Amino acid sequence: MQFVSILIAGILINNFIFVKFLGICPFLGVSQKVETAVGMGVAVTFVMTVASGVTWLVQHYILEQFGIPFMQTVAFILVVAALVQFVEMVIQKVSPTLYQALGVYLPLITTNCAVLGVTVLNIQAEYNFFYAMVNGFASALGFLLAITLMAGVREKLAFSSIPKALQGFPMAFITAGLMAMAFYGFQGLFKDFLIL
Amino acid sequence: MNNKYLKTLTNGLVTENPLFRLVLGTCPSLAVTSAVENGFWMGILVTFVLTCSNVLISMLRKVIPAKIRIPCFIVIIATFVTIVDLVMEAYLPAMHKTLGIFIPLIVVNCIILARAESFASKNNVVLSALDGVGMGLGFMGALMIVATFREILGNGTFFGFHVMGEGFPVAKIMVQAPGAFLTLGLVLGAINLVANHKKAA
Amino acid sequence: MDEMKLIVQAPPHIRSPLTTKKIMFTVVLALIPAASAGVVFFGMRALLHMVLSIAAAVLTEFVLQRLLRKKVTIADGSAVLTGLLLGMNLPVAAPLWIGVVGSIFAISIVKQAFGGLGQNFMNPALAARAMLMAAWPNQMVQWVTPLDAIATATPLAIAKAGIPDTATLPLLWDMFIGFIGGSIGETSALALLVGGIYLIYKELIDYRIPLAYLGTVFILASIFGADGLNSGLFHLLAGGVMIGAIFMATDYVTSPSTATGRWIYGIGCGLITIMIRFWGSYPEGVSFSILLMNIVAPLIERFTIPRKFGEVKKK
Repeated sequence: MQFVSILIAGILINNFIFVKFLGICPFLGVSQKVETAVGMGVAVTFVMTVASGVTWLVQHYILEQFGIPFMQTVAFILVVAALVQFVEMVIQKVSPTLYQALGVYLPLITTNCAVLGVTVLNIQAEYNFFYAMVNGFASALGFLLAITLMAGVREKLAFSSIPKALQGFPMAFITAGLMAMAFYGFQGLFKDFLIL
Repeated sequence: MNNKYLKTLTNGLVTENPLFRLVLGTCPSLAVTSAVENGFWMGILVTFVLTCSNVLISMLRKVIPAKIRIPCFIVIIATFVTIVDLVMEAYLPAMHKTLGIFIPLIVVNCIILARAESFASKNNVVLSALDGVGMGLGFMGALMIVATFREILGNGTFFGFHVMGEGFPVAKIMVQAPGAFLTLGLVLGAINLVANHKKAA
Repeated sequence: MDEMKLIVQAPPHIRSPLTTKKIMFTVVLALIPAASAGVVFFGMRALLHMVLSIAAAVLTEFVLQRLLRKKVTIADGSAVLTGLLLGMNLPVAAPLWIGVVGSIFAISIVKQAFGGLGQNFMNPALAARAMLMAAWPNQMVQWVTPLDAIATATPLAIAKAGIPDTATLPLLWDMFIGFIGGSIGETSALALLVGGIYLIYKELIDYRIPLAYLGTVFILASIFGADGLNSGLFHLLAGGVMIGAIFMATDYVTSPSTATGRWIYGIGCGLITIMIRFWGSYPEGVSFSILLMNIVAPLIERFTIPRKFGEVKKK
């Protein structure tokens, strides 16, 4: 039951983009085409899930064992950086087109607040190893959902005559704002059933 | 000589304002701008980390191997972030709690890594320090501007002080998520408008 | 980036402005029964709300189009329609400025900022209503009983609070006529249906969306509701489902243009409406569900583009 709860909460109720403001840079930068957006979303999902697991281990078996919990920021970000390096190599091998399409945004997954964010949040929520990874996975799915929806809308907007001053980032933010408003409907969903 | 230093300092404030012109550091910009005070403190923290990391990276720029420079930058930045995190927790616990997860997230604030890569690794210490201060204060100013709209319209207060009359119907949405996106979008749009006008002039 | 310009969107590719005026004003006509019911039940203040919303919408569009140096199109009736729909979505006891603010938001941000008529991705009236609800939640839920204007709760709010005794819920017949608390235009299912049937007859709205939406709501409410088929009927007549399914979800700009897409869209609206009504924080889910489906509509459209003549599926 907690598994489902974390899933629903992560994707709809505490959506990383529309509620927690984590992962905004790639959300805005890679959402012009649906295929690229999905590709980025999947890459981020992998990184977030694995990072959740690895950082949990680091926290409990290294940081706390040696009494250096304040090294969390440094340790976690190094884990993430290494992981992204690895994913970069894999994508380059498996799908050069995706590698090209993601461009500079792929190494930038390291600086994606969503990745570091979820690893820190997992520790704060005191999840065990399994649920930490579930949370990483669910939050990433929320990101994937948000970025895919945004790409769908932006593809439609590509032919619109938006006023010059609003073109680009301003319009992206306004669109995201309207989407965030719609996502409000999910607040409190299943709250009687959810165990978090 | 003076001109170059002054220019570096003011660059980050207006011309290349990290939030308004470079559109970097967007995550905290949405999260901490629900109150001007939060924007102020985040600005201070970012300025401190940015300036210190710029200085240290500039000092070491001839020594850090190019291939692993990004991880090196990250470790340096992360160290300073850890310092401010602990200091905030000790001396300003309430604000530390309010800013929450966005304090450790300063380490992935694109502004800091971007300036390390594009400026500090290529310029001397004094210029790097000025760049750090300029960019940091520019970021702080931008945060506070956005926060001003959100706090006044959404809460009737500015820096915690009531500025609108009792009967003012505060628009709660302004201090919530959608309001954050909409405000930032409209402010960016307004600034684009001004910038476009200047270009045409 | 250039390849993007070659993406073929689902038809219609040509959106003719020539008949826009006719369409808009016919829809307005179809809303007259429900709007009149609103005035009958809630008094002159209801009329005032609608007039103010319409005026604000038209004025905003005029001013913006002048400022942006675009052709002024207020005569095409789309702003009038947006203003009317927004006005009809307000509780009569709400402050008079709320419709004005909502209209300004709807026209300037949800419509014109995106390029104007036909280019918005969200229904402006509904987005404005959601904004108003988020911004001023207290003022937006000041419901009163029809005719004698005593503060009351909507049937949905009563149901949400969990009062199991069906005796305290309004009679289904009352709900059908509109003799209940609610926003100005949403209470009379009868008046709305009359308008809806007229629009379907005039072929201005596709029957698929309201059918899918209302059908899903009825079926799901009957399954999950406490009272079987009665629950189904209750949820059809309560809240904004009628006005939403007939007049807002069918907005051809913000809904998919493919037939299959429209079925999916309608079912999706119904599904989310029930989810929020039964298991979410809000008593009413219509606004959110339509807005959410507005967001998904471009993707739905993409995946339901019918195969072009002669096209063979790649193996």
